[in-house]
Amino acid sequence: MTRRAGVIALAILLAVLAAGFVYLHLLTRRAKLEAPQHGEEVARTQLREAALQSPTGPTQNITLYFPSDDEGLLVPETRQISWATNDTDRIHQVLLALIDGSYQGLRRPLPPSTELRAAFLSSDGTAYLDFSSSALALFTPGIQSETLAVYSIVNSLAANIPSVKKVRILVQGQEVETLNGHADLGEDYAPDPTRNKPGS
Amino acid sequence: MAKLLLRRARTLLIVIPVIILVIIFWQARTLRSDNFVFYLPNASHVVPVQAIGHANYVPLLQVLNIVGKVQGLTAARDSLKIWLEDNQIEVRQDDKKVRIMKKNIKLSDPVRVDNGQWMVPLNFIEAALPQIIREPVVYRLGSRRAFIGDVRPSSFSFRLEPIPNGSRLILQFTDKVNLRTASRNGKWVIYLGEKPVQPLEQKFNFQDAYLANIQFDDQDGMPKLILTPSSDGLNFYPKLDDSGKTLMADMVKPAAAVAQQNPPVQTTPTPGAAAPPIVAPGAATPAAPSGPALPVVVLDAGHGAEDSGARGENGVLEKDIVAQLVARVRNALLATNKYRIVLTRVGDVNPSLDQRAATANGARPEVFITFHAGNLGIRAPRIVVYTYQPSSSATPSADDRSPGIFIPWATAQLSQLARSQQFAHALQEKFAGISGVTVSPPAVAPMRVLRSVNAPAVAVELGSLTTDVDSSPLTNPNFQEEISNAIVQALDDFKGRQS
Repeated sequence: MTRRAGVIALAILLAVLAAGFVYLHLLTRRAKLEAPQHGEEVARTQLREAALQSPTGPTQNITLYFPSDDEGLLVPETRQISWATNDTDRIHQVLLALIDGSYQGLRRPLPPSTELRAAFLSSDGTAYLDFSSSALALFTPGIQSETLAVYSIVNSLAANIPSVKKVRILVQGQEVETLNGHADLGEDYAPDPTRNKPGS
Repeated sequence: MAKLLLRRARTLLIVIPVIILVIIFWQARTLRSDNFVFYLPNASHVVPVQAIGHANYVPLLQVLNIVGKVQGLTAARDSLKIWLEDNQIEVRQDDKKVRIMKKNIKLSDPVRVDNGQWMVPLNFIEAALPQIIREPVVYRLGSRRAFIGDVRPSSFSFRLEPIPNGSRLILQFTDKVNLRTASRNGKWVIYLGEKPVQPLEQKFNFQDAYLANIQFDDQDGMPKLILTPSSDGLNFYPKLDDSGKTLMADMVKPAAAVAQQNPPVQTTPTPGAAAPPIVAPGAATPAAPSGPALPVVVLDAGHGAEDSGARGENGVLEKDIVAQLVARVRNALLATNKYRIVLTRVGDVNPSLDQRAATANGARPEVFITFHAGNLGIRAPRIVVYTYQPSSSATPSADDRSPGIFIPWATAQLSQLARSQQFAHALQEKFAGISGVTVSPPAVAPMRVLRSVNAPAVAVELGSLTTDVDSSPLTNPNFQEEISNAIVQALDDFKGRQS
């Protein structure tokens, strides 16, 4: 009886140990897989986008500048939108429209899945744009394509929101060296009208 | 009773640590790794192979990225859905089945997740890959290489013949090869050029008094033969014949007097190779042994290592094209005997942009040229030459134009802009002379790598390198030769104007 009890006790002890290890193994694996989900952040962006799409102000024509790779220039395109009342929301609106893409089939300056995490406008007229890193990883690298992408954003913002004088692009809240290996993101960008297609 | 418990406890003391050790080292066992090489018509890619359990695995996403463009993916806790061009691929953890466009394909071993990476057994390459890319996939079981699309690997046979005081190795190749030899750790390495090679056998069995072993290796994407001599102190004289298909390598015992003054292993460059030798990635490229008075040209091949830059059709990568082009430009410039060349990267490495600028500034060059390839629209081939554009509206101030003793690192290029633009114009003029190429007027761009270079500096971008434009003209050796010659002429013009 006592001997059997000993054997059973041992078996239980081993089973508990083994189960513990298996459980810990599963737990670490789950933690690894679930870590990249920023549920709250995604939800917040979606809420913000929904709010921006509802009419909040007067209808207005805005001009967006899209890259034309063949010409190496930015081509303007007009869009009618319900203009938000404050400049920070307007920055979001312009960027969402750029990400949405051109009606004439010009290249998107940013990949369709780009997420603008936050935008601020400082008192000296610098617009800080904070993009998520995941979308920029899908960006087509290149000297011309990155230069046009940056100036598509800068020129579109400055053309429609007069208080935007300069633009600073951040990724995941951090300063980064380049957009994708070429265009310098270490400095503020002022609009460059010479990049817009002349006569249009 | 107490005695019995004590005995059990003793057994437990042994058994439990053993179980714990096994569990701890289970993961470590999978760390053993080597590589798998994918050969495409214009490029080769290396992915790591990992042993998990009894089978060898490759990372799924890396493999798919080689054969196509991953459009998107959805990862759940135990399943992964990937969109690759028109295909949808679904795998489940610990499941042998792969779902490709709603069709199930059974693999030899279950899909695993290791360190957060989705891994598929090697058998995926023959079983599933042809369904995904609809191109021929040639993969010989047990080998560590696959040929995708229209790739015809060359092969070779060899024999050994006795000669006085040594042995002669005769290698007969099926195609013309471009050979380069080197000696590493007392072994002789014969690089078989850039084209893929499929050896007939995995292991070569022979007996020879001078040669102990021949081993074929392409684990770093470069096909090569590694010869192990039987003893130290042998001389190695490789020679390629005029057809470019037969290599004769003599391994001989040096005469006693010669042996005393010479290093035991001699490396001889291969004469008779028709094509100009292209510096293989990973190989050391010492600066040209020219006199110290020669002006320096710094060549910067963009990207490298994990940063492959832009991607073209057929898996051509920007980092590979620019490395190839830089090797050609280097050869063309060295041939003039007028310049000393400094490279910012040698082989498949990715120095930071500041390190590249530091290499350039340390060499005090005549000019700095960085090479890139990217999306330049549908007109291909096209070349654009850029000079640096400060990102904000700040124009170079008087201070920047006449620098004092110290030059601010962040704005070093500002004082050089005028000369950079002169050089860009010289380049554009010469590039415009290449037939069939669209050359745009010199442009400006906020190129980060140019910002800190304290010398006339330009960026040359070739296009278009994207997945929807035919990028084959960019890899054409003649086109690259023409670019190299144009650069040589432009430099002459630029120097002429300076003086």
